[in-house]
Amino acid sequence: MHIVDGALAGEVVLGGAALAAGGIALGLRQLPLEKIPAAGVLAASFFVASLIHVPIGPSSVHLILNGLAGLVLGWAAFPALFVGLLLQAVFFGFGGLTVLGVNTLNIALPAVIVHYLCWRGVTRSAPPLAALWAGFGGALAIALTTVLVGLSLMLSGDEFIPAAKLVFFAHIPVMAVEGLLSAAAVYLAVEVKPDLFDTLKGAAT
Amino acid sequence: MIRALTLMLCLALTPLPAAAHKVIASAFPSGDVIEGEVGFSNGDMATDQLVEVFDGDGAKLGEARTDADGYFTYRPTAPVRHIFRADLGAGHVAEFEMTGEEVAAILGKAAPAPATADPVVEVAPSGAPAPALAGLSTADKAEIARIVRDETRPLRREIAAYKEHHDLQTVLGGIGYIFGLFGLGFYLAARRRLAA
Repeated sequence: MHIVDGALAGEVVLGGAALAAGGIALGLRQLPLEKIPAAGVLAASFFVASLIHVPIGPSSVHLILNGLAGLVLGWAAFPALFVGLLLQAVFFGFGGLTVLGVNTLNIALPAVIVHYLCWRGVTRSAPPLAALWAGFGGALAIALTTVLVGLSLMLSGDEFIPAAKLVFFAHIPVMAVEGLLSAAAVYLAVEVKPDLFDTLKGAAT
Repeated sequence: MIRALTLMLCLALTPLPAAAHKVIASAFPSGDVIEGEVGFSNGDMATDQLVEVFDGDGAKLGEARTDADGYFTYRPTAPVRHIFRADLGAGHVAEFEMTGEEVAAILGKAAPAPATADPVVEVAPSGAPAPALAGLSTADKAEIARIVRDETRPLRREIAAYKEHHDLQTVLGGIGYIFGLFGLGFYLAARRRLAA
């Protein structure tokens, strides 16, 4: 999931960095005081979740939790996931510093898309339906991330197309797990602390 | 929030096999060929993987394929900088290189009269001159070099895997950094709000 240094063409790296910088700036604008702790917790969850690797086929996959981050944070997912990615690159060498922008974009943009698609469903529905929406959002975020990863690879050279397909199919189990996890997390939040989304709602829009 | 924190901590404190899927690759002189290995840092080796060889200017010199253990050999033809590039797909690319001097040393040894270069020296990581192996034929020396290589191979792999190993402390350190950063952000935002 994390693209490493040297795998992408220079234009893609620069374009990704520019877009990610824009997303982070926009996210910081929409990160009010009330949201900062949630952003921190989700950044840390992402940081830890990405360390749990499940070997599948020739490579290994890991959870990303970007759907959940997107549902709660919206555009603020950009800075939160960026921090997680930055520390992973520095501490563990996941991805790399030059491709940080592309990786941030690939992971945070689906989070934002999911936020716009599913947030209403999550906040305005009864708990079971909200969980369903969240599960859909969690799975969708992974699917979109694999598509973006494939796109980044494709833009760097046509020979990557089979690899891009491989990324997508290898992540189908992750989509299922993430969907379940997001659904469970949102169900818990809606049941136990329904004001989690409400508190953030006023600040978000 | 407390529950989320608790869940987070439970997740963090579980001793996880925190294996990365970072690509590790290296090349080293092995007799008159260049031997290299390509694999993932969790110990899985890349089998039947195409490794392309380029010189310092980006011109392609040739290619090699890894065997079932992730090892490949490449016979150099010119004493120039060799850049090895393996594309493992899904954004995993390994690039590693061998300097022109090292390649020249290998080529020097591949010459018919191997008078100067001692194969054992190539294996010693420190590059210290090997004790004089008088009385040993070239074949003996080559055999010794081969044995030493075989013996050190698992060690080399273990060291590579160990370098990539990150333990709980590092993970906790990362989480600490994240909380610290967001705490700082919270402080700045709170101060701004108080000032307003």
